[in-house]
Amino acid sequence: MFTKAVIIPTGDELKAGIVLDTDSPMIMQTLLSINGGCEVRRIAPVLDRQELIESTIKKMASQNDLIVMIGGSGGGHRYSSTLGKDFTHSSLEEILEEKHSSKMYGKNGHMWCKLVCGKLGDTLVINVPGPFDEAKAAIGAFKQKYIENENDLKSINTAMMEAVKAKYSNVY
Amino acid sequence: MEKKDEENSVIVQVDKTVVKVTGIDVKGLNIQQLEKILLDKLKSMVRVIGVTGESIEMDVYGIDEDDILREKDGIIKAIATADGITLSDLAQISSVEKIKKVDFDKIPEYHEGTCMKERWLNVH
Repeated sequence: MFTKAVIIPTGDELKAGIVLDTDSPMIMQTLLSINGGCEVRRIAPVLDRQELIESTIKKMASQNDLIVMIGGSGGGHRYSSTLGKDFTHSSLEEILEEKHSSKMYGKNGHMWCKLVCGKLGDTLVINVPGPFDEAKAAIGAFKQKYIENENDLKSINTAMMEAVKAKYSNVY
Repeated sequence: MEKKDEENSVIVQVDKTVVKVTGIDVKGLNIQQLEKILLDKLKSMVRVIGVTGESIEMDVYGIDEDDILREKDGIIKAIATADGITLSDLAQISSVEKIKKVDFDKIPEYHEGTCMKERWLNVH
């Protein structure tokens, strides 16, 4: 069971105060519901730069046993020049030692969301999408699977993606 | 440590239209509130996917381009009621584009480090 957790929001728009971060308080509440005795911290938003995200994860992994990344989970700039930069999943792919990932594609072939669940040393690292409802669904699924078996990366990751996918069930 | 990777993919067959609104000032936007305002207005799910200090880009699910264009003035007025958004004289819906379905078998495989967008140039 984790005893020190850190929430890392990402996004230039958060850092600049253009958008309010409503995800972090919700995620903190969920983490505290898993372990009320843990220490949970939310650090300042990290800009959408792969090297910044990677270095932040590495630094936080040395101080925490759970890291929750927020945002940067879509295809973003890889499909549309007007969208934000989505580097969270590519950073996790780059630095995590053991991991399971799930990708969700739309019918247009674009990757809408990629969730990664993995380990950096002994630290468990997950990411959730930026949109509040999807983030809430993902962290809720994490809670359920983590309590069942905190070491089953595949089960945690698959459940999180299924929860995100289910948010679209009423529109198709 | 040796890297152990596993990956799976899912596809959601959902119609959505990408809408961009420009000519606005954005500061301290509560995206949840804006999505709720637009849900009430359009009676369909909306997800804000990109925000700058001057624009908002969003996915509108289950509504076609023509229906959105018919409602454009109402959408702008609705957006203006969200905390953190101020309209300028140039406020407008600057683009509306419904996503196009592709045959996944025709999309070339993606390799990490290569340009993802190039794979779509000849697909539609």
